[in-house]
Amino acid sequence: MNSWQYYASTLLVFWGVNTIAVWALNLQFGVAGIVNFAFIVFQSVGAYTAAVLTLGPASSSGYEHYVGGMNLPFPLPIIAGALAAALVSIPVGLLGLRRLRSDYQAMIMLIVSLIATDLASSQADLVNGAAGLFNIPQPLSDQLNLSQLDYQWFYVVLVAIVAAGVYLLVRWITSSPHGRVLRAIRDNPETATAIGKNVTANRMVVFVLGGAIAGLSGALLASYISAWAPGSWLYPETFVYLAAVIVGGRGNNLGVLIGALVVPGFGEVTRFFPQLVDPQTAAAMEWIGIGVFMVVFLWFWPRGIVPERRHRFAKPTQPDVGQPASTAARV
Amino acid sequence: MSVLISSIGFGLISAAILAIASVGFTMQFGITSILNLAYADVMTAAAFVAYSLNKAGLDIWVCAGAGALFGAVFSMLLNRFVYAQFARRGTSAVGLVIVSIGIGLIIQYVVVIIWSPNFVSYRLSQGSTVQLGSLVFTTLQLTVIGISVVTMIAVHLVLAYTKLGRAMRATAVNASLARDCGIATNRIVDLAWLISGAMCGLAGVIFAMSIISFTPSSEQGFLVVVIAAAVVGGIGKPYGAMLGALVLGLATELAALVINPAYKDVVAFLLLAIVLLIRPRGILSGLATREEVVA
Repeated sequence: MNSWQYYASTLLVFWGVNTIAVWALNLQFGVAGIVNFAFIVFQSVGAYTAAVLTLGPASSSGYEHYVGGMNLPFPLPIIAGALAAALVSIPVGLLGLRRLRSDYQAMIMLIVSLIATDLASSQADLVNGAAGLFNIPQPLSDQLNLSQLDYQWFYVVLVAIVAAGVYLLVRWITSSPHGRVLRAIRDNPETATAIGKNVTANRMVVFVLGGAIAGLSGALLASYISAWAPGSWLYPETFVYLAAVIVGGRGNNLGVLIGALVVPGFGEVTRFFPQLVDPQTAAAMEWIGIGVFMVVFLWFWPRGIVPERRHRFAKPTQPDVGQPASTAARV
Repeated sequence: MSVLISSIGFGLISAAILAIASVGFTMQFGITSILNLAYADVMTAAAFVAYSLNKAGLDIWVCAGAGALFGAVFSMLLNRFVYAQFARRGTSAVGLVIVSIGIGLIIQYVVVIIWSPNFVSYRLSQGSTVQLGSLVFTTLQLTVIGISVVTMIAVHLVLAYTKLGRAMRATAVNASLARDCGIATNRIVDLAWLISGAMCGLAGVIFAMSIISFTPSSEQGFLVVVIAAAVVGGIGKPYGAMLGALVLGLATELAALVINPAYKDVVAFLLLAIVLLIRPRGILSGLATREEVVA
């Protein structure tokens, strides 16, 4: 029974972290239409920042070399992870969100992602190069004195609380006038410009905010799995998150919650299929399954499981005082 | 000095391979606006088809031809039966990228199942060494450069001087207008994918030869440089991709010499970032417009 609890709690943590990340990407791509192919970089910046701030100083003779090593107490590294990702978003946004066609923006973001992985792997002293960071202490694990299983459930609750906060934030943005401007920019940037909306500035705001939330998700993830390496954030990972947004329903916060469960969860499901073939072929079949799923899904449900709601605005019921009703109707 | 010259030699060889791959990639984007991220996986599949034939005793250049043929037919079918169908349903550009990643995963792991995920190598001889001034090449390397130059000239001749090339350029600029002018755009798109797919397959085999031993995931990293070369020159423009390949091929090898081999890709991408800041649509953006007007 314990092993099942362990498995379920692990899946819940991953779902929670993925959901936080997918909400950030939905804000950028689903609501504002920014094709951010570098998304995983911001998650990774958060992860690395949290890791080097939680870890103690690197010993000069050890196998791990990194900057930082501040030994900071629990909430600080996670918060710093989000802030660092927001800071990195600013120059990337300034470079990529200038008035370029969206396919060029996408290319630039993809290239940013590639440069970042290359830099992290080749700089041995920054975050331990290609080997990555490991033995990152789990938050509060030595203060709480919980059994391993209880700690699992503690982490589920922690991720759930953070996720709830992030949900309130993204819902507040998407339903605010700013969210309306963002959707207008996504659907027709020229018209939005014509009515006086600054396309680049509005996109920049969600780019940085989405970056911060991505960093938050990365900080939570790295602290949970206690390790982070360039292999964890190669550019295809961004497309897994994008697939989750599209499968769930682009622009719909509750839809992408389901997407974050279905897309990475699909690999888990194939794990329970009877072992008819050797493990190597089974692993390959799992990836083929994910590929087929992505293609078939986009064919049958191009707008996702829960499509974006059409936003309707109530007609004014009371005409303004002193004006004929017909004028109000025309307005 | 001799180290510098030998770096230029290596740069020319990387540029030769890169040019074939990135011209193929950029043609697919230019004519059908599809960012085909399954490109590396088609290259891989072609490399393994060639591997099987090579193992059966065929000469490596016959196998390379077979790889090119495989790439051509496979890419054409992939576009006609998958990408074009999605595009007709109005799938967004990002949706198509996701589809191409799904297809890429399927191809890559089917290759793993058929051929195993382990390292394999072609049976081929490097040939004798040839001295050209201060540059030393093997005959194999010279053949690769020769094939690349011939391919580039052939692409140029087709695009610039044939009716097919003119129809392809017309379709790239404005497909619906081209159709209204009586160009059978579906057939042109099929032919464009055949040609670009052949370059994809050929590049797959030659790249596998150049890294000596390869696995089903070896060509993934190469796609990155292919995209970079295509973007430097202005994506969708074959001449831009040729120029981009030359610039990136030389720059990466020289950076490996001057700075540090670990940073050669970083230098390539920084170069790309700088180019995009100065000329957001690639080096050849202005030139290409003039060319389109003349055509």
